[in-house]
Amino acid sequence: MVLLALFLAACGSGTKQDEKAFLNSLDSAKTEGATIDAEVIGSILQSIPSPLEISVLLKESGQKYDYSLLNSADNTSKYNNNYKKALNLGIYGTDLGYTNIYQQNKDGIKYMSAIKSMADGLNIGQFFDIETIGRLANNSRNLDSLLLITTQNFNSINAYLQTQNRSNLSVLLLAGGWVEAMQITCQVASKDKKNQELKDTIGEQKIILENIMLLLSFYKDADENMASLLKDFEELKSAYDKINIVYTYKESTMEIVDGVAMIKDNSTTTIQITDEDVALIQKITDSIRTRIIS
Amino acid sequence: MKKVLFSILFLTSGLISSDLIGQCDSENFSTACIPKLATGFNFLKSYKVDGEGGAKDKIEYSYVFTKGTQYMINLCTASAAADGVVVSLFDSSRNKVATSKINGQFVSALAYPCNATGIYYIQYTFDNAKAYCAGSALGFKR
Repeated sequence: MVLLALFLAACGSGTKQDEKAFLNSLDSAKTEGATIDAEVIGSILQSIPSPLEISVLLKESGQKYDYSLLNSADNTSKYNNNYKKALNLGIYGTDLGYTNIYQQNKDGIKYMSAIKSMADGLNIGQFFDIETIGRLANNSRNLDSLLLITTQNFNSINAYLQTQNRSNLSVLLLAGGWVEAMQITCQVASKDKKNQELKDTIGEQKIILENIMLLLSFYKDADENMASLLKDFEELKSAYDKINIVYTYKESTMEIVDGVAMIKDNSTTTIQITDEDVALIQKITDSIRTRIIS
Repeated sequence: MKKVLFSILFLTSGLISSDLIGQCDSENFSTACIPKLATGFNFLKSYKVDGEGGAKDKIEYSYVFTKGTQYMINLCTASAAADGVVVSLFDSSRNKVATSKINGQFVSALAYPCNATGIYYIQYTFDNAKAYCAGSALGFKR
């Protein structure tokens, strides 16, 4: 593939744009090479929850909007390789979801531009119709449409990257988005120490961390950046090893109401997590995130 | 000559349309399902359900559900009813926690207020289905 790219580049017109695209293709070619079936990777990617769920949780639990928690949209020029672009596309995706949920449209527009810039750099900018999104963002009554269209865009990107054999970028996008959601939750929890729901949310992320680490492990032999990120996550995992998620299964009950099967879930999970665990997780998450955004 | 031409056209169009009928446009169904999520639910994922005319007996996806969040999974098929497509939810130990076929009655949506965080399997099966073809959407609200 690299030889073919070299041949095509040698025969091409040699414009700056072509050179840029060619260098990017080499960059992504280097990061491919998972050691497992693409379908398995796709299936794990699909199972990871949207960071939007955490933003909704924060808003519904009465937490105030805090712009200082987010990565500055002005940082885009720092991210000049596909690894950094994909991770920060994920970070900015979470930040955009956060601004959307709080209906902070002015900030949201900055993040849309940042996202478009990262996506263009990865040759996936076609999935963001910035005009439509900008128009929706200018009217608070369009919140549902705005959330829908941005979620659909990210889902389309993931589906497209999988068909293009570039799932490595999907994994990075997801990892970046998750780290940002973790960082926001940890920061908020550190200011609201009595909030058990936030502590539980941090503890529950053990499940997600394990899945992301599994995804990264598929690429660790072929990509040193992903191997390094996996190492960072291993440190976080050691902090999570002390946390227990105790699941108690009890058969659920169901009834049909207005044509919908309404389920009553009688199972429970209990999260065993201490303030010290939260502090350590926050410290490690913060250092991982600093490396990603700097 | 005209009759022959019309006959050829008729036969060709018949073949094409029967081929199209045999195909499952699950992508279309899953897209159509998104706006059918109940009010207040935020869209998360859409799922294609293509039983390949009966060659597949189940299609499965997974998702990490979170305690304290209410999820809705709906189904869209060619007919108004669920057309024999059943969506069931299993926990990580494969205990069935929800299904869209209750006491023999098919419904096209599940509302699941999750009380236990973990990985869940969203499984689509066919029970006397005609088309083996559907789309589905997952949404959430707090």
